[in-house]
This record gives sequence, structure tokens and C-alpha cells, in this order.
Amino acid sequence: MSLKEKIQSMNMDQIMEMCIEQEQQAIDLYSMARDQAKDAASRQKFQELVDMETAHKVSLRNFELERYIELPPADLKVTDYLMEPLLSSNLNTQEILIIAAKREDKTARMYQDLADHFANDKDLNTFFQMMADEELRHKHDLEAEYEREYLQEG
Amino acid sequence: MKRTPPQSFNTVPMKERLTLPRQAMPEQDATARAGNFLEVNLGLTAEQAVLEAQRCIECKSPTCMDGCPVNIKIPDFIQLICKEDFLAAAEKIKEDSSLPAVCGRVCPQEVQCEQTCVVGKRFRPVAIGNLERFVADYAMQHGNGASTGPEKPQPSGQKVAIVGSGPAGLAAASDLIKEGHEVTVYEALHEYGGVLVYGIPEFRLPKAILRQEVANLEALGVKFIKNFIIGRTMTLQELFAEEGFDSVFLGLGAGLPRFMNIAGENLNGVYSANEFLTRSNLMRGYDFPEWDTPLHRAKHAIIVGGGNTAMDAVRTAKRLGAEEASIVYRRSEEEMPARNEEIHHAKEEGVNFMNLVNPIEFIGDEEGNVIAAKCLRMELGEPDESGRRRPVPMPGSEFTIEADVVVIAVGNGSNPLIAQTTPEIQVNKWGNIVADEDGRTSMEGVFAGGDIVTGGATVILAMGAGRKAAAAINEYLKEKVGS
Repeated sequence: MSLKEKIQSMNMDQIMEMCIEQEQQAIDLYSMARDQAKDAASRQKFQELVDMETAHKVSLRNFELERYIELPPADLKVTDYLMEPLLSSNLNTQEILIIAAKREDKTARMYQDLADHFANDKDLNTFFQMMADEELRHKHDLEAEYEREYLQEG
Repeated sequence: MKRTPPQSFNTVPMKERLTLPRQAMPEQDATARAGNFLEVNLGLTAEQAVLEAQRCIECKSPTCMDGCPVNIKIPDFIQLICKEDFLAAAEKIKEDSSLPAVCGRVCPQEVQCEQTCVVGKRFRPVAIGNLERFVADYAMQHGNGASTGPEKPQPSGQKVAIVGSGPAGLAAASDLIKEGHEVTVYEALHEYGGVLVYGIPEFRLPKAILRQEVANLEALGVKFIKNFIIGRTMTLQELFAEEGFDSVFLGLGAGLPRFMNIAGENLNGVYSANEFLTRSNLMRGYDFPEWDTPLHRAKHAIIVGGGNTAMDAVRTAKRLGAEEASIVYRRSEEEMPARNEEIHHAKEEGVNFMNLVNPIEFIGDEEGNVIAAKCLRMELGEPDESGRRRPVPMPGSEFTIEADVVVIAVGNGSNPLIAQTTPEIQVNKWGNIVADEDGRTSMEGVFAGGDIVTGGATVILAMGAGRKAAAAINEYLKEKVGS
């Protein structure tokens, strides 16, 4: 069953529960990676991601509309064609960025589906659209960092 | 502090100097050189060097030195060329640079000293790099090899280890030996020079030049030890505890190849630029069967990237016998980080340029050999933080290029061994060592400089960092004795 189909049979509480669960999975994933990382730099990067996802979870809990007001920048698509590395304790920053950008992309799609689902409910549509935009903004930031550091083209 | 201008030996009247044409660097014929590994640029003749030096207008406030990361006294050495005292000109450069024959060949002068040359505001700038190369080569052929420099100093009784024999390490060693310290350079590979030997091809920087520079340092008393990997052969802590060093300089470079993380990168025939160039340059894979390092001879080699490393790799592939050798670059030529000279030489040698193209997958045959690259066409969007317009994929533009050798030249990272074996050394999130502007790291007595701190940069910047760190090490050792 696709997400769009799944949403049809869910009530609002279940939808919010699903979204929070999605963010919590990301927090758990990045926390685990942070604790397993062998070097301080990777641990720091994972902690930044944990903080970012925790902020998303708070937004969902509080149903904050005013937090995100900027339109998302253009999708750079830098990591769209890259292979997703398997999670391990030996991930380097390059692999972390790929995993995180792909995850942000996937979550943005989920929020976009929810925004479309609530096309006739202005508040919910706006809220989920903003969440989708927020995820796309994070994808953009992660990909810009990836491009800056790993596509030097030397 | 106001600088005293050098004595003028330029006999050409000021008005006529700007009418003198810039002297062209003699080169090997493009067709001939595409089939050999001999040096492309042949060097100015003495007559050309004097004519070029006479183009200098002897500015009252010269700005050329500001463009040089090690502040070579450019106006001074140019006047000595005008005087035709080429050995004195070489000595003048040696006061600030320990590798002039190398820098004269590989420095991007067009964005450094020649960019700030006043003549260049209206005309072509004085060819400072070509002049530097000329006097350095002249000194190697006619001088006594080692820099005469100051008198041999009194031994300080203190020992410094230099880890890495690339430009940062050699520059640091050169300065520290002149202070009377006992200096030992450790190198992981079986030849000295770091990226200068494994990364830069013979046709751009002959190895004999580098061996001569190393021999000069040996003549000054620097001890060299090869096949030594820090963190494996011995840890940093052991260098202090077991070998008794008073200070250590880390000039490890950025030798960890980066990949694209796209499907098919593990196929046979797909190389990192690092491996491809090391096989050819260090292991002399180009000299088969005299040397038996395996290296694919391609029908069509594609090199992914647009920097100097990509140009070195594509020109190497061409010389190895590739029927076709192509650069595949995701931006346009305008955004290429490679030096214009290298792009120009590559084109002359018949290299194809496929710009605004990005591979998204490498395709293999049933035996696991690469046979093609699936690519997307790109278009340029808004500028990114580097000021270059950002490439964006064009939807539905997929196409395939046949290729039996692929070289990935998208950059290098830092070696992770130090971070893994020396927790006292702080590294940033990219694995580069964190050091202050004098090279001090988070570990007492340990200094670092060059690409291991900055990430991949230029030879001269690495040398500048090596020299700064050497000065700081010297101060540190003086304080250590005094305390």
C-alpha cells in the first residue's frame, strides 16, 4: 500500500503519530550512529542531525505554523543518483551526508503527500507543506555541504 | 616596513619595456608529446629570460610579492636576471622558497604573483613563474646543488621529526636544518616528494628535479627515512617516547581518494585519480614492460572532474595509448578549477571535453569490466558559495558513453590514520587536523601544515604553511631549552 493510500484510512491522530514516529526513527538512527562513530568529527555531525530531527518532532507536537516561513531553495539533486551507504560505525562524513540527504528527501515526500491529502484544509495543508519545505531546505543544506566538500573536482 | 628597492640592472628604457612581448615558453610539439612522457615545457633560454626580465617596470611599490604565498623577493631576483647573474638570482629565491624548480613548474602563478603584477593591468604580466623556473634550472645545472645559504649553524641538540616528504614537509625541513636542529623526514612511500612524486606526471614535473631538491636537503644534513607509515610503523606518541624527538611536524597531505558513490564504481577499469596517477607516476606503469605495474590501455578513457588532477589523468591516459581520452565535467569550462595552461595543453594533445555532463552509473560486462558510463546533461543555475554557477541535472537527458577506463578525479580527503591512532590530535569533521595559523595542533610539541590542515590546495601554500610551522617549532624549541 502506498503512503497516499495509507493516509486515506488514517485519522488525524494517527497521521501525526506516523509523522512523529518518522522523526523519532531518524533521531534513533542518528543517535545510534553518533554513539558508534569512531571519530569526534562524525559524532559531531550526527549530533547536529539529531538536534535537527528533534526540532522537527517538537514542531509536530506543538503544531507550529509560524516556525517556517521561507520557501525552500531549489532542489540540487546532488545525492539523488548516489548509492545509499549501509549504516555502520565506520561511516565517514561523506557517507553520513548521503544518508541524511536521502532521508530528508524521503520525509519531504511524506509531508508533501500529506499536504496534498489535506488540500481542502487550509491549516493542515499549510502545516504539512511547511514541513515538506523544511525537509527540502535541510536536503538542500546537506547537498550544498556535500557539493562544497566532496565535489571539488580537483 | 618600507622595502628598499633592489639595484636596477635593466638597460631597456622604461618607455620601451611595455612594448617588449612576453616571451613564449618553448614546448614540445603537441602531436609528438601526446605519445611520450617527456616534459612538455622546455624552459626559457638565457636570452629569453633576460628579455622577459627586462619587461619588469620596477614599480616603486611592487605588488607581485603580495601575490606570492611565501613572499619571494621577485623584484630582486628579476634584476639579477637582468644582470645575467643567474646563480645570484637563484640564491635570492632560495631565501624564501626551498623548491623553486618545482614551484616554477606547478605554481598557479596566473592567480598569484602574475595576477598582482602591475604590468598585467594593461598588458600580459611579466612571466614570473617561467623566470623562477629558468634560474632554478640554471642553478641546478651550473651551481653547486645545495644552497650556499648561511654558514652551517651550531647544532642545537634538539631533534625534529617531519612526517611526510611533500612540499610542506620539505619546506619545513629546509628551514629547521638551517637552525641547527637534527631533522628526520619520514615518508610512507618508497620515493620522496609526496604528491609531487605520486600525483604530478613526469611530463609536468620530471622526477629528476625533485630528486635533486631532496639531495640538496640531504647535503644540508636532513635524514630521510622511507616506507614509514605514521600510525602503523610507529605512532606519534612513540616518535616522542622511543625516538626522542622534541617536536614533530605533520605534513601528511590529502592522499585519500574520494569517490562519487554511484553504482558501478567497483567495476574493473574504474580508478581513483590517485591510484591511476600513482600507478603511472610512482610505479612507472607508463614504462611497460621495463616496469611491470599493470595499467589499462584504454580505447576510450573518461576522466571525471575538471581540476589539475583530472587534466594530469586525462593526458596520462592519452600518452598510455588511449584512442580517445575525454574529460567529463559537470560544469562548463569557465568554472573549471584547472589551470588554463593545463586545459590548453590537453586540448592541443587531442583530449575531448564533455562539459555539463555528469555520470550517474557505470555499466559493466558479465566479467565485471567497465564498458560504459550512463550520464546526465546538466545546465547551469544560480552561483554557489564559490561563485561558480551551480550545475543542475536536465530531466530526461540521460545518455550513455562507451568507456573501458574511468578515472574519478573529484578531490581527495585526509588520511584517517592520525585521527584513529592519536586521540590527542583534534581533527575537524572532514578529518583535517585543526591547527592555528602557526601550525600548532592540540598536542604539545606537534605542529601541522599543508593539505592535511587545509584540505587539497596548492604546492606553494603547503610550502608556506611548512615554513610558518618551522618558525613556530623553532620558537617552541627555544622556549623548551629556556624553561
